[in-house]
Amino acid sequence: MNKKDNLLKGIIKENPLFVSLLGMCPSLAVTTSLENALGMFLGVFFVLVLSNLIISLIMSNKKLSQLVKPVRIPVYIVVIATLVTIVEMLMHAFLIDLYLSLGVFIPLIVVNCIILGRAEAFASENKPVDSVIDGIGMALGYGMAIMLISIFREFLGKGTITIWGTLQLDLNVIFNFLKIEPISMFVQPAGAFLTFGLILAGITAIANNKKNKLAKEVTNNG
Amino acid sequence: MNKGLVSGLVLLTIGLVCGILLSVVNSFTAPRIKLEEDKIKYQALEEFYTLADYDISEYEANGAFATIYILKEKGQSDISALVYTVSAQGFAGPVQMLIAVNSDLSVEGYKVVSHTETSGYGADIVGNNFGVSEIDDLAGFDAVSGVTKTSNAIKECFNLVAQRINSDLGGGLSE
Repeated sequence: MNKKDNLLKGIIKENPLFVSLLGMCPSLAVTTSLENALGMFLGVFFVLVLSNLIISLIMSNKKLSQLVKPVRIPVYIVVIATLVTIVEMLMHAFLIDLYLSLGVFIPLIVVNCIILGRAEAFASENKPVDSVIDGIGMALGYGMAIMLISIFREFLGKGTITIWGTLQLDLNVIFNFLKIEPISMFVQPAGAFLTFGLILAGITAIANNKKNKLAKEVTNNG
Repeated sequence: MNKGLVSGLVLLTIGLVCGILLSVVNSFTAPRIKLEEDKIKYQALEEFYTLADYDISEYEANGAFATIYILKEKGQSDISALVYTVSAQGFAGPVQMLIAVNSDLSVEGYKVVSHTETSGYGADIVGNNFGVSEIDDLAGFDAVSGVTKTSNAIKECFNLVAQRINSDLGGGLSE
């Protein structure tokens, strides 16, 4: 696999949220605003890229990997937990509003299946550079997915899109024009599942459509 | 050497390296975290004083009083001001106030922080000027007309502070 494909697979083909359905719990919980999703993305990006790099560096050393192999899962957890704690400390110190808003979901990045999954499935078997690219692609794919969900949820639920702090798009004018109120259910847990389900259905429909077209072309040519 | 033991030692070493890394990050984030947390905690006091000029400590009182904030000017040992969190019974429930009093007994400011009074009636106490400038002189207390019980709760809060301020300024809070 070349570097471009390695990067892009995490964004589209193997998107961790929409295709692999990994790390759904925090993703659905924090997507009440775009700002929260952006914060979560930054945290996951930092942890995923660095954990992939560190684990790949450890495992690509033949001697060290032999010693680590029997205790590799505890090693992954120690590395990931350290990186998550660093993210938590930095957010607490420099982005306290975001820290308070994301709450328990920052430390929960430790048990995010995407990070542990990439460590075991990719970083432990590939070179450091490829592992970093894989981490960037996966984090971008995850970030795009939660940002898409959050844009839908915040717009439909509150009529706004909060980009960062006070930087907010007020789209209530659309609701006023339609003479309806924003549907607050969308910023509640049920709205998260509904939005996620609808987006997933849309993606599946597009993928199926593509598959059918391809099958037809093959039949016609064959 | 036993392979399992070596693997365990490797895990221990990685854990130690991670621990050192965390302590380094903690050493430069901890002061900033404390600053940010204090900022949130003392946000209500900022309406009365510039917090950067003071060292602030807290005293947990009981009865009608909750937290009493003790403000000392930076580098000074004497109390500059006290901010009381005090409550009294209003018409529909307790009315809680913050009352800031300087060491010369002048009232720096006051604020209703919570209440359950009726909107449009008792709730008018929020942001109202009760005409109190000295904590030991409530003769000029200006009640909100038509809401006697709620106004009495406010006056009671000032009275409660007046009753204890001299003792508190005299060192009563360090007991």
